[in-house]
Amino acid sequence: MTIGESPARVGSVEKALGRARFGSDQGEPGDLFLVCVRADQAPATIEALELDRALAVPGVVRIFTAADIPGEKLLGIIPVTKDQEFLAENIISHRGQAVALVAAETEGAARKAAQAVELRLSALKGVFDHREALAENAPQVHAGRPNGNLMARRVIRKGDFESALNTCAVVHEAEYTTSFIEHAAMETEGGRAWIEDDRLIIKACTQNPHYDRGDTARFLGLDPDRVRMIQAETGGGFGGKLDVSVQPYLGLAALLLKRPVRMVYTREESFIGTGKRHPFLMKCVTGADSDGRLVAMKMDLSADTGAFASYALAVASRAAVHATGPYYVANVEIDCRLAYTNNPWAGAMRGFGVPQAAMAHEGQIDGIADKLGMDRLEIRLLNALRPGQETATGQVLTQSVGIVECLERLKPVYRTWLSEVGPDSASGRGVGVGAMFYGIGNTGVSNPSTARLEWTPDGRIILFTGAADIGQGSDTVLRQIVGARLNVDPERIDLVRADTDFTTDAGATSASRQTYISGGAVLEAAVALEEMIFSEFEDLMEADRGDLEMAAGRVWVKGSPNGAISVEEIVQSLAQRDIRAVGEGRFDPATVALDPETGQGVPYATYAFAAQTAMVEVDKLTGEVQVKRVAAAHDVGRAINPKCVEGQICGGVMMGVGMALMEEYVPGRHANFENYHIPTIADMPEIDPVIIVEAPEESGPFGAKGVGEPALIPTAPTIASAVGQAVGRPMRHLPISLERVMDAVTGVNDEN
Amino acid sequence: MNLVFEINGSRRSLGNVPCHATLLSVLRDRLGLLGTKEGCGVGECGACTVLLDGEPVNACLTAAWKAAGRNVITIEGLATEGLHPVQEAFVDSGAIQCGFCTPGMIMSTYALLKRSACPDVEDIKSALAGNLCRCTGYKQILDAVRAAAAKMDRTHDDEVSGG
Repeated sequence: MTIGESPARVGSVEKALGRARFGSDQGEPGDLFLVCVRADQAPATIEALELDRALAVPGVVRIFTAADIPGEKLLGIIPVTKDQEFLAENIISHRGQAVALVAAETEGAARKAAQAVELRLSALKGVFDHREALAENAPQVHAGRPNGNLMARRVIRKGDFESALNTCAVVHEAEYTTSFIEHAAMETEGGRAWIEDDRLIIKACTQNPHYDRGDTARFLGLDPDRVRMIQAETGGGFGGKLDVSVQPYLGLAALLLKRPVRMVYTREESFIGTGKRHPFLMKCVTGADSDGRLVAMKMDLSADTGAFASYALAVASRAAVHATGPYYVANVEIDCRLAYTNNPWAGAMRGFGVPQAAMAHEGQIDGIADKLGMDRLEIRLLNALRPGQETATGQVLTQSVGIVECLERLKPVYRTWLSEVGPDSASGRGVGVGAMFYGIGNTGVSNPSTARLEWTPDGRIILFTGAADIGQGSDTVLRQIVGARLNVDPERIDLVRADTDFTTDAGATSASRQTYISGGAVLEAAVALEEMIFSEFEDLMEADRGDLEMAAGRVWVKGSPNGAISVEEIVQSLAQRDIRAVGEGRFDPATVALDPETGQGVPYATYAFAAQTAMVEVDKLTGEVQVKRVAAAHDVGRAINPKCVEGQICGGVMMGVGMALMEEYVPGRHANFENYHIPTIADMPEIDPVIIVEAPEESGPFGAKGVGEPALIPTAPTIASAVGQAVGRPMRHLPISLERVMDAVTGVNDEN
Repeated sequence: MNLVFEINGSRRSLGNVPCHATLLSVLRDRLGLLGTKEGCGVGECGACTVLLDGEPVNACLTAAWKAAGRNVITIEGLATEGLHPVQEAFVDSGAIQCGFCTPGMIMSTYALLKRSACPDVEDIKSALAGNLCRCTGYKQILDAVRAAAAKMDRTHDDEVSGG
């Protein structure tokens, strides 16, 4: 049995030796190098694009513009909202948008030529604030849209908010804001493309090779069968490598020049040329009875989706669906609107709007607790979802609801820390608590994964999966699932991963879905393969199938291990009849689409739950906040690999520290780590204990759900709660900068 | 210019190295030593950390000519065979997720453990504060550094090919 053990991550030896080849390491001598020419002003009309000077730079081979695109000009991850020009044709919609693509013999020549391109722009009136974007007479980011700048909307209605609010003993009303955030995966976007047998082959870092193939083929006017996408080793993603980046450029140049090409974004390009986390404004009214039970909740959420749609529909739905947090609330009124602006586009980033919404629901429940003089953890326990209760979308949760256990197991730690800090804020220290729930997989739509497993006559076991491991560990976990089902050492299983010629679609590495959904597909493939092997054994040995066992590559009738024969023999017997021992699996969690008017439905088949607590220390003279300690309790269903789960949780906590205290991307100001700071090891709190709660999910492989995004979601609200306690005022705006802390300490901008 | 230096234990002579070339570009583009990564190009992330005469430097900020006549060790030169104890500790501790920061992180750790056999948490944090990681939250990296310290202390097998 390998479930619950922690074998070393697949690929970690190669990475430790420096031998892993990432997207940005791809290339061979003689490859052309590609660089985009990007506009530094938006919105604007392109008046002229003069290429002569750039073409005269020695080594330049060709410069492509929108006129060279053979296929569809508009790309985008969600099929109904493809709106992104990867080479702008007439209008620059956001600063940093590409207008031309230089191909040159060397990187130096390509960069020099990119600077020599003369781009003349004529400024247009723009809109850079999502509230202003939805006002009447606001400049339109994309002309001719019936909904104007309103990109996405999600409404949830349950019960009767207005009447219920009138019955409440206590009502809390507040506003929260969050910032644009850069993913800052350590590897910037990069890859290589070449032509082989009249087909285009692209090897690049990505979170979703099958989507990349489809959209790149559309862009180039090719049948998808003529494009092969291979995932290179990918140096982190966090949602930033879900949109295509270098892939269409690589494909365009390789296809039209018939030469191998490579491309690597500089860190500056990665900042200005990729998506961001949506900044949100959240206006909330929450009512509770005198015991602290939540009765009514209204939230008006709005966010800046920038110049292009990307994942906006998903973010709008997710933020709305999760806006009540992991609590039972009978009367709910939620409106979530995402507006186009001329800022860089916002898309998927670890949590799809839920980390932002968590700031609001956790701030609100703290507010109610404070008004009633209740303990902040006890009020969460009182309201936490229990089996049999309904979410805001009317979904009755029947099993695998681990939030109560998360809070219970966190409670002793929280109590100890509270007593260490003391009741008043004079010490400068504070303890906070936060909780979340998170639906695994895409929202209210089919999002299957498929997998294939083969046992070859020469004794190899090969798992073919389209799931992109970007560092989170799906290679390791999927092998463990196969190993556990077939009773073989996972080390024996070879992987063919994320190559569209050899693996079927597993969907995106996003929405914390690969362990649950691709794990489910892989498990089903293993079951199918086992079935085939048992059936052949039965024919060979005339045994009763119900009584068969398999382990370590041998099959026998239960109770008669002496009569075992090897799987190899069975596979060879099949091979003699030209039958390959292959199992195929598919898993698509059951969902019901959300009603457009009421938001009622079953958006996800299962949810992860979590609670965290944090102790902070605030320097009231400088505003500096140090996160001293964090404890995290996460219901993951079943930890297939506890060390990987712990790695995800600690990584999520640190990304949450960044979101809470330091990260705010300002277009035009930030383009590298010189002034956009992400947490270093010096910022790391003691993350202990990490508590893994296992409320098994019936439909998950060995009970597993997911953890990637849940790891991050409670952290920022937990830290905000702790800082709020330390300074004696709620902290509702991220990041909690020195200035914001000092304003709170000195009572400036006091909302209360 | 002509650049002569010792890289991972071998003396190399490279012609036509531009005066403005960085050590990073020489390692990656001329020598094909792709284990050393470029994460930011401005000396902020530490992904390009290599040892120059035993001291950790950001190869992206180091002019190639500064390596002339000196000794450079990259991630490829750390282990004489198999894995170096620091590499082994990173694998065993789960300190490697996407792995892009790993070569730089391992070189900084090796440099730390060469000068301080038994570093405390503050020493480790100070030595690795210039190496960014976006995946792990650093906890398992901290575990790995401690485990590596114990391994190196035990084995005394801390000599590397050029070291």
